Amino acid sequence: MSITYLEAIREAQARALNDDPRVFIYGQDVGAFGGAFKATKNLAARFPGRVLDAPISEDAMAGLAVGAAIEGMRPIIEMQFADFSTVAFNQIINQAATLFWRTNVPCPITVRLPCGGTSGGGPFHSQMMEAIYAHYPGLVVMTPATVEDAYSMLLEAVAIDDPVIFCEHKLLYNHLKAEKLPTEALPVGKARIAREGRDLTIVAYSAMVQEALIVADELATEGWEIEVVDLRSVKPLDTDTVMASVARTGRLLCVGEAFPWGGVTAEVIARVACEGFGLLDVPPQRLNAKDTPVPYHPNLWAAHRPTAPRIAAAARKLLRL
Amino acid sequence: MVHSPLKPEPVGDVSPMQELYLRAYRLMLLARVLDDKFASLYRAGKIHGGVFLGRGQEALSVACGLALREGDVFAPLIRDQAGRLAFGEPILDAVRTYLGSALGPMRGRDGNVHRGHPKQGLLAMISHLGAMISVVNGALLARRMKGIAGTVGLACCGDGATSTGAFHEALNQAAVEKLPLVMVVANNQFAYSTPTARQFACDSLLDRAAGYGFHGSEVDGTDLSACLTTLTAAADRARAGRGPQLVVARLLRLCGHGEHDDAHYVDAKLKHLPASRDCLKASEDFLRAQEWADAPTLAAWRAEVVQKVEETLAKVHREPAPDPFKENWYALSARHLCEGYE
Amino acid sequence: MPQIPIIMPQLGESIAEATIVNFLVKPGDAITADQDIIEVETNKANMNIASPSTGVIKALTAKLQESYPVGAVLGQIEVTEAEAARLGLDPAQPDDGPVPADAAPNGDQRRVRPTVRGLPVPAHAAGASFMSPRMKARMHELGLHAADLAGIAGSGAAGRVTIQDFEKYINNLNQQKLTEASSMRVAVADAMRRSWTRPLATVGLPVGLDPLLAHRKAQNPKPGPALYALRALAIALAENSAPAGRLVGSQIVHPSAIDLGFAVEADDGVLVPVIRNADQKTLSQLTTRYAELVELARQRKLPGDATGGSIATVTNYGTFSLTFATPIPLPEQTLVLGLGAGRKVPHWDEAKQQFIPVMEANLTLSFDHRVLDGGAAGRLLLRITDLMTHPEQL
Repeated sequence: MSITYLEAIREAQARALNDDPRVFIYGQDVGAFGGAFKATKNLAARFPGRVLDAPISEDAMAGLAVGAAIEGMRPIIEMQFADFSTVAFNQIINQAATLFWRTNVPCPITVRLPCGGTSGGGPFHSQMMEAIYAHYPGLVVMTPATVEDAYSMLLEAVAIDDPVIFCEHKLLYNHLKAEKLPTEALPVGKARIAREGRDLTIVAYSAMVQEALIVADELATEGWEIEVVDLRSVKPLDTDTVMASVARTGRLLCVGEAFPWGGVTAEVIARVACEGFGLLDVPPQRLNAKDTPVPYHPNLWAAHRPTAPRIAAAARKLLRL
Repeated sequence: MVHSPLKPEPVGDVSPMQELYLRAYRLMLLARVLDDKFASLYRAGKIHGGVFLGRGQEALSVACGLALREGDVFAPLIRDQAGRLAFGEPILDAVRTYLGSALGPMRGRDGNVHRGHPKQGLLAMISHLGAMISVVNGALLARRMKGIAGTVGLACCGDGATSTGAFHEALNQAAVEKLPLVMVVANNQFAYSTPTARQFACDSLLDRAAGYGFHGSEVDGTDLSACLTTLTAAADRARAGRGPQLVVARLLRLCGHGEHDDAHYVDAKLKHLPASRDCLKASEDFLRAQEWADAPTLAAWRAEVVQKVEETLAKVHREPAPDPFKENWYALSARHLCEGYE
Repeated sequence: MPQIPIIMPQLGESIAEATIVNFLVKPGDAITADQDIIEVETNKANMNIASPSTGVIKALTAKLQESYPVGAVLGQIEVTEAEAARLGLDPAQPDDGPVPADAAPNGDQRRVRPTVRGLPVPAHAAGASFMSPRMKARMHELGLHAADLAGIAGSGAAGRVTIQDFEKYINNLNQQKLTEASSMRVAVADAMRRSWTRPLATVGLPVGLDPLLAHRKAQNPKPGPALYALRALAIALAENSAPAGRLVGSQIVHPSAIDLGFAVEADDGVLVPVIRNADQKTLSQLTTRYAELVELARQRKLPGDATGGSIATVTNYGTFSLTFATPIPLPEQTLVLGLGAGRKVPHWDEAKQQFIPVMEANLTLSFDHRVLDGGAAGRLLLRITDLMTHPEQL
């Protein structure tokens, strides 16, 4: 039996609904239809009254989640696409993210963001939103890169007493498969060494981890041992694991699918440069999407985001320095 | 919330309406005296940040608070000192929050009108207009899911907030879910300096009720009796499962947007319209006309609330300010997930 | 007739594959463009695949109830030449396949693109001239200096020493016999390394020693030749102290007193005791003071006022039987005067028209070329030899 990243997300939600009566799902088309990506397929039937279709009102969806959380519920909000969460941005960053700090009342909501590009997605169905949410205090931002993490981290997101932005990558939904669901997991906030190496550290998250692993395989045939660090959550960011990896390799390449200005890759490199300057044997490098909206056409899209060939080229430059 | 900040009524044999009116009047009076005090403290440089008064809106606001019961959800906005008191918020909360006491509900982390006790149903507003309404919806939906019946939620806003997307989304949402929401719009003629003519183009905001699928009612916001009757009826309808309610009140904001604003843009002619009268003065006139209170009684009530306010201020003035070195600077309840930037 | 493939379309965001549920046409059927031909099921919905063109179904290669990835060929449609042309399948059309992901956009061709953009390792950085933050941190940790890396050949860009080269070198060292250098050795090494950062030059000429050796016989205590040199240097610098100035940035630092040092070999290094105001002391006084300081230096008991702050140093490498050397001035000094070993050499006597034996030694002046040039250094050296050959002036 194999299970996809999307199925893992569905199973995690089913388990959360099953195990905790405080959990409910609210989002556009999540009910009988099962969600635009089928992440909630059959859940409305299995859990009557707890998987609710929302009007096309992202702001009110997030606001409702906050109100329900105050009352002790643990809502999961599905944004149909991460891109649309901008409509709910105010409720997420000003209402949900400030509630605990202002009032001492926790805000256990999970906002699921189907993010990242797929072929033909275009400017408004392909964006990576983790950086802007990570910028705000009061939010946890998860970016699972594996089927196992999609499952275990979503369960953890629901269990955490704070708002969690759960960035699930659409490209991995049906393409990424695992043998079975995990029975144990790293704690949230802990990065994972996805592959060990001694010549170069590639720090990545979400779908970029998969690209980085392809690159590591390819460079292994050239005699290089690449260490791949999967951040798992970008906030909190596991600086210790990154630093320990750079201490082993002396070389750092940070890869993100988001736009280049600021963001997770800049944050990782800033931290390593500030706290681990003496670990670097070459200038740290970052690789991001291009500084334009995400293009529609597959040719343009493939060149817009970092992919294995681009990452490999950047890695080779660093390795030969 | 529970209360009450005032001594029990001295009068014995009165009708329920008279009793409600007297209670409402004394809460309005307390709100007005407290607001005026905040205005003076602001002008004396004793308050950090803004001061926002409910002058002219006390009748509507107090009726909102009195229409609610313990266990209901209340989302007041910036001009709801009277409603907060009526819902049971202690005067101490207001004074501590305005003066930045470390012992206040917001502990110096947020100020003035942004206070609340969400777990007791008193939501702590954010500044973005319309944003609290869907939060009330969420609380009401949660109660339905938990099988709690008979509670309602009441959200306040002004005419300005009705122009936001959040207001629209939340009202539509409440109607779709048939939630017991009472949406109270104080049409006080100005959003900061913008008159209603630049805010909306329908004849009456009440027209929107039909569009959303709300039951709508309109009330003279300067008439305490009418406000008490209308708000109680609206809350009762919501409580009885008859769906969301929209109450639109007409009145005039008798102050600036905040105490930094002199409201010079308010036309003098508008100020002298009957609909622009001071609700507190009008209810005093009503009390005396009904012979529910004479001048010495009114004076005694005023003296009582003045003393109450002064006592509270004296207490809070002696309280510590928040200490940045003792502040924990954690934005998450899960402390192990906080990043310790130095 | 041309054929065009029936392709499994992308039937929704993130859909990877779809299953064939039903064929709505069979081989041989005439079909029109946009006609539904195959029914498929994704995990989102049931959908129909539409015909891309008008033509005849040539073959349906896909199988019922099988899943096919997006882009898979499910069958072939035979079309007319005209239909193929209409669909842009004209072979004359250039093939614009997918652009390689790392191809530079056209606009970039005019821009200067360094080969290692954003990685500021200088070209021709062979050896350890570029030191990464990590290399610097490791060197600090191990107490190493750039000079210690001279023996490492770099394998990095343009021959730079990478951290791996460095660690390999350190590991190799650890397999050899290692002892701790004395603190004196480390101090001298430090001084020499710092001094060597400057452009240093040396001038030299022979000086006749017979006059001073004759003069010496009548003295008590008897000064050695180096003391004559020290006294001559003191007088020469008192006349013109400019050559002993130091250059710091764009400013000259002028000497404030003629305090001169002299090199004394001690244990595993060199000490430089200082005689204050050497220009104001007689040869006799200098001789006495010199003897005291040499003794104190050997006992490692030099008083504070006899160390540091000198403006030039005299070194008598003649005591090691060396006739010529290019000493390095102390880092805080511009000049070092060196005296070689005396030896008898034939000297052409013009009056006697024959060679006569004379005692002679080389006198060298090493200096910071930033402060003075060969001419000024030569003039100073000539003045010193002049004084040494007229010892009655000392």
